[in-house]
Amino acid sequence: MMRCPTCLVELEGGFPELGRHIFKQQRLADAGHITWINRYVSKTRTDEDTFISKVIAVFQNDSLKEWIIHQFVKKFYGDDPHRFVIAMQRPSKFVLLGYAYEHHHFLKQWVKSCASIISNTDIEEVQHYELDNISSEWRGSGNTVPSHHELLLRMGESYGAKREDIYSTEALDPTKLAISTWDYICRDLTFVEGMAAMHSLELIANRNIKNYGSPIGYFDPEILSDGSVTKETAEFLKEGYMADVIHSEVALDLIEKYSKKLNIVQPVQAVVMKSMEEFDNYLNARLERGEMLENK
Amino acid sequence: MCNATWGEYWRDIDGESMLFCCDVCADIFQTMVNKVKENTGWNSIDSVNLVGNYNKGRECSAKNGDEEFKYYFRTYSNGKFITFEKR
Repeated sequence: MMRCPTCLVELEGGFPELGRHIFKQQRLADAGHITWINRYVSKTRTDEDTFISKVIAVFQNDSLKEWIIHQFVKKFYGDDPHRFVIAMQRPSKFVLLGYAYEHHHFLKQWVKSCASIISNTDIEEVQHYELDNISSEWRGSGNTVPSHHELLLRMGESYGAKREDIYSTEALDPTKLAISTWDYICRDLTFVEGMAAMHSLELIANRNIKNYGSPIGYFDPEILSDGSVTKETAEFLKEGYMADVIHSEVALDLIEKYSKKLNIVQPVQAVVMKSMEEFDNYLNARLERGEMLENK
Repeated sequence: MCNATWGEYWRDIDGESMLFCCDVCADIFQTMVNKVKENTGWNSIDSVNLVGNYNKGRECSAKNGDEEFKYYFRTYSNGKFITFEKR
C-alpha cells in the first residue's frame, strides 16, 4: 500500500501507482500536489515515466530515521530557514506572545494525539513512551516540575498576556487546519503514522540539529542567560531544548522499528511530509498572531 | 508565481488572460495586484517584478508609467496573505 503525501489517499500497488496519481493531479492543476512536486521533485515539467523515477528517488532511504531528520532539516533549517526560526534567534516580545497564544492550541491537540496513538496500539513500549510524553507536556510532575504547557502560559504572562485571554482566544485558521490534520492522522491512521506525524515535529527544538547539518539552532542559546528574554521564557525554552532531544530521537527509533515491522515505511514518509507542510503553516500562524498583537 | 511549469490554470486578471500552474498562484497574483492598486490609487499596472520565494517572501516593484511602487509580501501555502508591506 502507498499513501499520497498530499491528500493522504491510500493507493493500491507500488511507486508507479503513486507517481501516476500525483502526475494526474498536477494535470488537473491541483495546487497541493503541484506544491509537493515543486518542493520535492522539480519545478520543471517532465514526461510521466521520468516523473515516476524521480518520485521513487524522493522516498529512497537506508534509514527511515535519517531520512526524516534530513527532510526536516532541509525544510526548516536549510538554505532558507523558516521565518519563525529566524525570528527566534533574537525573539521580540510579540514573537514570543504569538508563540504562547498559538502553541496553547497546539499543545491541547498534542495531548489528544498522544492519547489517540495509545488507543491505536497494544504495544507497551509505545504506550509508555506516549504516557511519559503526555506527562511532561501536559501534566508535569508533582508540585516541583511544571508541564511544558504551564511553562508556556507563564512565558505569555511574563509579557503581559492574561492566562484566560490565551485560553479564550480562538486559534488562527492555519493553526486550526493543522490541528484537524494531526487529529485525523492520529485517530484514523496507524499508531506508527500518528507517531511519525507528531514526533518528527519535535526535531524543531532539538539542540543536536546543528549536528544534522543545520547552520543555526532553534534559538541562540545565549538568550537563555543574557537577559534579553524574561526568565519565564528562558525556563520554557530550556525545558524544550532538553526534552525534545529525548522525545524526538527515541520516537524516531520506535517509528523506524514499527514501520518496518508493519511494512508501512512509505505511508509513514508520506505522513511526515504532510505533517511538515501543516507545521510550516502553523509556525507562520505564530508570527501572524505576534503581528496582530503588536498592531492591536 | 512559483516558476513551476506543471499544471495549467487560466484566469482573467485586469482584462488579460494569464497562465498559472494552479488556482493558489492565481489567487496570490490577483490579491497582490489588488493590494498594489489599493496602496497606489492606480487604475492599472504596467509591469511587476518579483524576487524571492515562498519561504523568504517576495520583494517586488510595480510600475505604472513613470511611477514605481516597492513592496514585500509573504503568504501561507494556501495563498492567504500573512504580510504585505510598502518598502
